[in-house]
Amino acid sequence: MFDNLIARAIVPVTIAVTGFVIFVCILLYSFVKSDMTAEASRHLDGCATTVVKSMVSAMMEDDQDAIQNIATNIGTRSDVELLKIYDHEGNVRYTGQEEPATLTATVDSHIKSILQPNSTTFAQTQYNVDHDNGHVSVTLPILTEPKCFTAACHVHSEDEKVLGLLSIGITSTQLEKTLATLRYRMVIFSVMVLFLTISGVTALLRMNLFLPILRLTYNAEQAAQGVAEYDLPKSDHKLGKLNKDFRLLVKQRDQALEDLKAVGTPDRNVDDGSR
Amino acid sequence: MTQETEAPLPDINPLRKQVQTKIKKLELHSSTGLWILALFTALSMGAFHNFDFLPPLSESIRTALGDGPPVRYINWALVMYGFSAIILILTQMASDKKPRGALAHFGYLGAFYLFYHFSEGLSENFWAIFVVGLTILGLQSYHVWNYYHEKIQEQREILVELDKLMD
Repeated sequence: MFDNLIARAIVPVTIAVTGFVIFVCILLYSFVKSDMTAEASRHLDGCATTVVKSMVSAMMEDDQDAIQNIATNIGTRSDVELLKIYDHEGNVRYTGQEEPATLTATVDSHIKSILQPNSTTFAQTQYNVDHDNGHVSVTLPILTEPKCFTAACHVHSEDEKVLGLLSIGITSTQLEKTLATLRYRMVIFSVMVLFLTISGVTALLRMNLFLPILRLTYNAEQAAQGVAEYDLPKSDHKLGKLNKDFRLLVKQRDQALEDLKAVGTPDRNVDDGSR
Repeated sequence: MTQETEAPLPDINPLRKQVQTKIKKLELHSSTGLWILALFTALSMGAFHNFDFLPPLSESIRTALGDGPPVRYINWALVMYGFSAIILILTQMASDKKPRGALAHFGYLGAFYLFYHFSEGLSENFWAIFVVGLTILGLQSYHVWNYYHEKIQEQREILVELDKLMD
């Protein structure tokens, strides 16, 4: 009976707490992952904008070697996996780092969507975070400025909105490592919360409910075997009225037995005397 | 002298059969929670494969449906739903009410899978829906089993009493 009672009290709590904690942890991880991914993309976008600004400056001076040098130097960074500059038709003009094969399709789709005039993504920066292959890539358009189409060295028309494109891809190993650490910590946290909650609920139920019921059951067994109310072990007051009423019943039984004895004894005496 | 004649007892057999039928009916009811849990697992397997066994929606239907809601809104809705559903089932358990709404929960969870699918956030949030679904339907099926198990016990006690009367 008590095994069942304990199981029935603990099982729903265990299911509810375990399920909800795991669910919230998964969702929280998903939130944190998307925030960190967005932050990595923003950071890369900032770096790419800096590169574009220095390249535009070199373009204004018509210094092709300087553009190639910038691309080559940035490409020597250990985390840079791809750096390419394209012209307005999507042809590669400068390369700072050759791409890994897994980045080719991503960058191609970026270029396609940026250069399509009727597309909603025309001339808009494109991001991609590939967690499976460990890359973060960004492709941003090099947009025309008044100083570009008014400069003496170039012949860019005012209508030509996109002068070229810059694609940068960096490794996301650090991001993946941080996410793995976060996962690991969340698992430990969840296990601790579950352990504490279930142990806490079990301890409270045992202390406030199961032990008093066990004591009352023991008292009931003793009373059934004929033990008098004053000989029964004293119980706590956690079960309140139930415990009081039980003791009252046993007391009434004891009283009734005593009364019965008292009534029975004189009769016997009378009988004995009459003989 | 008056001869005492005992009135014959009514036939108990129809009543016994009625109780036995009721027990069978209650046994069937007690497993409904598990059936819905199995149904949800099957749906989740489909969702895990991004519903690729279903034919793709035509462009006109997609246009009529419009864009899916942003994934973060669906996430918040899922948190609210999960929390409320668990509290609701625990309240039902605490007040020993007849379990209801397992099929509705299955419907809500299926709708969440569809919303995520159309908002292109299913692959990232699959495990969240799966875990909350297992929790809600697991609790619900436990409540269903527990509730009907008690009812079956009551009926079995009645059956034992009837057997004693027959003897």
